[in-house]
Amino acid sequence: MKTDIYKAMTSGRMSRRTMLRGAAATGALAAMPKFALAQAGSVREQILQIPGVGNGAPTEADWRKVGALCLGQTKANVAPGEFAGVELTFMGTNNQNLHNVLFRAFLSSWEEYTGAKINWIDLAQGDYNARLQQSIATGTVDFDLLEMGAPFEGDTAGRGLLDEMPEWVKDAIDMDDLVDYLKAPVGTWDGKTYRVTVDGDCHTFSYRTDYYDNADFAQAWAKEGDGSDWSVPKTWEQVNAYSKFLAGKDDPLTGLPAHGFLDPMKSWGGFSFYFLEDRATAYAKHPDDPAWLFDPETMKPRVNNPAFVQAIQDVLDLIATPGAYPADQINADPGTTAFQQFLAGTGSMLTWWGDVGSSARTSDSSVVGDVVGFDILPGANRVYNSKTQEWEERYNESPNMAYLGWGIYVTSRVSGDELKRKAAWSAAAHLGGKDISLWTSAYPSGYQPYRKSHFNYDEWEIAGYDRAFVEDFLGSNLDSYNHPNAAVEPRIPGIFQYYSAAEDELAKGFAGQYESAQAIGDAIAEAWEKITDQIGRDSQIALYRASLGL
Amino acid sequence: MSKLHIVATQVDSARRLRLGYGLNAAASLLLLGTIAAQYLPLGLTNWRPTLYAYVLWAIALCASQVIVRGEQGKRVLFVLPAALFVASLALFPLVFGLTIAFSDWNLANPDGRQFNGLANIKQMFGDTYFWRSMGNMGWYVLAILAEYIVAFGLALMLNAEIRGRKFFRVAFLLPLMLSPVAVSWMIGKSMLENRFGPVARLLRSLGVDNPTFFGDPAIAKLTIMLMDAWTYIPFMMIMLLAGLQAIPKDLNEAADVDGARGVRRFFEITFPIMARVSITAILIRVIFKLKLADIIITVTGGGPGGATDSVTSFIYREYRDRSNVGYGTMLAMFYLVVIVIGMTGLIKFTNRWKGADA
Amino acid sequence: MSVQIFHDHPADRIPVKRRFGRLALYAALGLWAFVCLMPIFWTLTTAFKTAPDVMKGHILPWIDFKPNWLGWRSLGLSPDTIAEPSSVRGEFLKRFSNSAVIAVTASLLAVGLGGTAAYGLSRFDYKFGFMKNDDISFFFLSQLILPPVVLALPFLVLYKSMALLDTRFGLILLYTLSVLPIVVWIMKDQFAAIPSELEEAALVDGLSIWGAFLTIILPLSLPGMVSAFIISLVLTWNEYFFAALLTSTHANTLPVMVASQTGSQGISWWSMAALSFAAILPLLLVGILLERFIIKGMAAGAVK
Repeated sequence: MKTDIYKAMTSGRMSRRTMLRGAAATGALAAMPKFALAQAGSVREQILQIPGVGNGAPTEADWRKVGALCLGQTKANVAPGEFAGVELTFMGTNNQNLHNVLFRAFLSSWEEYTGAKINWIDLAQGDYNARLQQSIATGTVDFDLLEMGAPFEGDTAGRGLLDEMPEWVKDAIDMDDLVDYLKAPVGTWDGKTYRVTVDGDCHTFSYRTDYYDNADFAQAWAKEGDGSDWSVPKTWEQVNAYSKFLAGKDDPLTGLPAHGFLDPMKSWGGFSFYFLEDRATAYAKHPDDPAWLFDPETMKPRVNNPAFVQAIQDVLDLIATPGAYPADQINADPGTTAFQQFLAGTGSMLTWWGDVGSSARTSDSSVVGDVVGFDILPGANRVYNSKTQEWEERYNESPNMAYLGWGIYVTSRVSGDELKRKAAWSAAAHLGGKDISLWTSAYPSGYQPYRKSHFNYDEWEIAGYDRAFVEDFLGSNLDSYNHPNAAVEPRIPGIFQYYSAAEDELAKGFAGQYESAQAIGDAIAEAWEKITDQIGRDSQIALYRASLGL
Repeated sequence: MSKLHIVATQVDSARRLRLGYGLNAAASLLLLGTIAAQYLPLGLTNWRPTLYAYVLWAIALCASQVIVRGEQGKRVLFVLPAALFVASLALFPLVFGLTIAFSDWNLANPDGRQFNGLANIKQMFGDTYFWRSMGNMGWYVLAILAEYIVAFGLALMLNAEIRGRKFFRVAFLLPLMLSPVAVSWMIGKSMLENRFGPVARLLRSLGVDNPTFFGDPAIAKLTIMLMDAWTYIPFMMIMLLAGLQAIPKDLNEAADVDGARGVRRFFEITFPIMARVSITAILIRVIFKLKLADIIITVTGGGPGGATDSVTSFIYREYRDRSNVGYGTMLAMFYLVVIVIGMTGLIKFTNRWKGADA
Repeated sequence: MSVQIFHDHPADRIPVKRRFGRLALYAALGLWAFVCLMPIFWTLTTAFKTAPDVMKGHILPWIDFKPNWLGWRSLGLSPDTIAEPSSVRGEFLKRFSNSAVIAVTASLLAVGLGGTAAYGLSRFDYKFGFMKNDDISFFFLSQLILPPVVLALPFLVLYKSMALLDTRFGLILLYTLSVLPIVVWIMKDQFAAIPSELEEAALVDGLSIWGAFLTIILPLSLPGMVSAFIISLVLTWNEYFFAALLTSTHANTLPVMVASQTGSQGISWWSMAALSFAAILPLLLVGILLERFIIKGMAAGAVK
């Protein structure tokens, strides 16, 4: 259904208007209820048009405008100048001059209104875990506000370093609007709420529609392929078959060599392991078992079980196929893979967070905006059952809720000072507000949609998005969030150490330093066992079980 | 025997001695008192007061040297401030580092640091990737010989009779001034980008299919060597150039009379004279090379598969990414011992060689 | 000074006679100049590119691509944003001044402390406990050998207890420590090249040893000091590891800002290049303007 529209769109014969008409005509697309459509002239409508899709990436001036327009909620709770003289320190990442830089601009009008001043600690994403752990271990927590992912809640909230959210903040940010998987227990610890969510995370599957609409590829596949149809892959088996097939062919858009799936293989402070997880969840996450990374009774790693080994083997197979990956893929930074390769027209399939979708249309570096499609992660034709220790031959899919999104947390440094505490929470609430978040999910910000109200497609049209594109992009997110067999990551202390150890062993394995996929898995498992023992096995088991809801 | 002979008139008056020792004692008391006060409930939130007391103590120590020992004290005053400064800033971290090195300390462990005896050493001897990074270091250090040859060649060229010498000298020097972080990004990741980077395009136009710079272990190591060489060749070059310019001109004139020419003259006259400065240049370069890390951390992260890891970048990852502080510090301490022994040997050896040569 | 360091008269030069030889010489010089300057040119031009220019690997401005202020705009330093408020520019300026203050102060301190120590070591025999001159020299030198990672965590703890974290003063102390050895090394050779008869004469004239050092030796060793200062400046201005570790909001330096430009969204080459260029520019100027001091300073030590 959607592919028809894309076919027409990519052939360039259709204007945006006719395409919308086409979309409406298919009927199914118009079935979404139009609840809470932004009022003409409302804040939501105004911010969505700053700067408008197609007008280049937003600038700092745009960010400031958005921040100023969204002050309503602050004004309702805080008197002008109420925080005069209060200084807060905010630690977060400087992702590509987004996150912290964006927050600075969003908060500039807040600072003006409340009289508070904020100092900033900007970190590279790869340094983030290290800096946080160092602060915790040496007692040098030198920040009041913290941008942090839910996986670190074990490290921080578990040690009493965070301040509990006041009731008025819960109302101000409308917590009920969060998509279900981001509600408690995520953001809470021991029943207390700590987190103002500003992001929702899951990995989705992005692909190039022009590859699958391409008659030449379809013909060649009919000849060289396994007899199946040439269509968007639904399983990892297909992904690999297509990637091998595409090696040596030419990209229909750029004319450069065509490639299939892009695996980021280089270490990235732990974040790279998510990409292997993407390949593994369909094999490893059994619908009857909430656990998939560790055994919940013993913390014995499952990363060397047949499911994960199959995922590793899939990557090794492609490495062994000349031309399957772009040259030097083994040394490409993960960010490069998504933003310098996929968006620039190299490679045709990718798993990534949702921000690749909004960037495809609005970023200065993207050339694939018109030929990109989205789906939930591919599934697999068999799934491993850890209880019976056997493969089950049946279709299984399991979206990877990688990182659970960024949130703003307030540290217990402010707990003793009511004014400072209120200021910190007010700043956090401003950044996690309902309106401002609509803007961050619609424009390049590094953040994904995370509220039910973000999936109101009519609002996205106001920003200038094509209806079909938005439904495709947001739909892939929504389907992942609501998937019954989603793989949710454990919020246990040191989780990024496990990831970091894993990605290091994987990098060695991809460079050919281990004999087999099994050997790579075993090496990771060994490293994980060591980490578990170092951190304390009994407490890890308890926390792991708690995070799984067992 | 001191090189500078002074007939010092030593004034040994009891009053001076008393004053000097008194000053010393007072300052020491103040320092000890401050340290003690830190433990009292006086509301002192940090050890700044001790820092100030220590500075006072150090000044008093320097002053008392002059007061007590007169001329001899004034001589000591040349070295003492620097020595005190280094000792106070380096000793505590080193000692504290040693205690960390013998403990199991994962920053995520809620129980904190635990003494674990020799377990870290045992783990180190079984850690093939650490030993591989040590091996890589060997290659990186060997690359200095090639750097030296290039640097010598450049110095010779700059010392020849050429036009635009000033321009070339400045141009050749500039890479040294650049920040390794910026170099890593703009050269390692931008110019050496294998699809759009200018170097890849140049190679492709020369007929190389799919040039890659970091995919193959040997090539990756070579690329790292080249980038590091690019930054530091100017350093050796200026030292060698300075040496060349200091060669007395009569030596060359004498050589002209003898009819020594070209290559022969270089090996018989220039090179032996340059031996000393060459050794110094290479030694300093070795020391800088032993710290090689920034470029590797940014560009390859040690990959592919540890093929480009230097010891420092390896430890850095153990430390930053895994928060495995105890083991990482043990590796660093071991590395320190290895290079202190190595460098001491090297310096002693070259000193003797220089001595025999002179 | 008895040794003539610069041979500026053409008659001093070794004539390269053969024409082919000269051609090869200039070819080699030109090639290496290209190798040295190309990356700097690349950084500067990339700061004026847009995404398609980067992707297509355009090289020459105005010919291959039209220069664009995109990179500088993201820093708030382009003509159209320079007048508007920009948090990134504010951050950049803060870090720039931090870098400047810290690097210059630490280098001056190191030259002061290291210079006097080097002079002492080149003139007198010391005995501090079991340590003699060679041991003291090696003691200084050993600080240079120390891999920074060894000191990382201890320094974090030490600085925390002294309230030196995130202060310029803390970084200055550390940087002074880290460049002191190289200063001692360079300056020791410097002083050794100055004949001690000079001070002996001055002492006979009634000057104290410090008087002789300050009035006679110091001016003679100035080129060496300048070169030691510049090398210290280069090392401290570019230092990343400790700056990232020990600072957070008030005292952080430019290299930390350059390094934090990356994230989950890949790299905006234009702003990375603009920032990198702004970060290396001061030292480029130092190199261009003070180049002759560096070589002169090194030369005095080399003749020994």
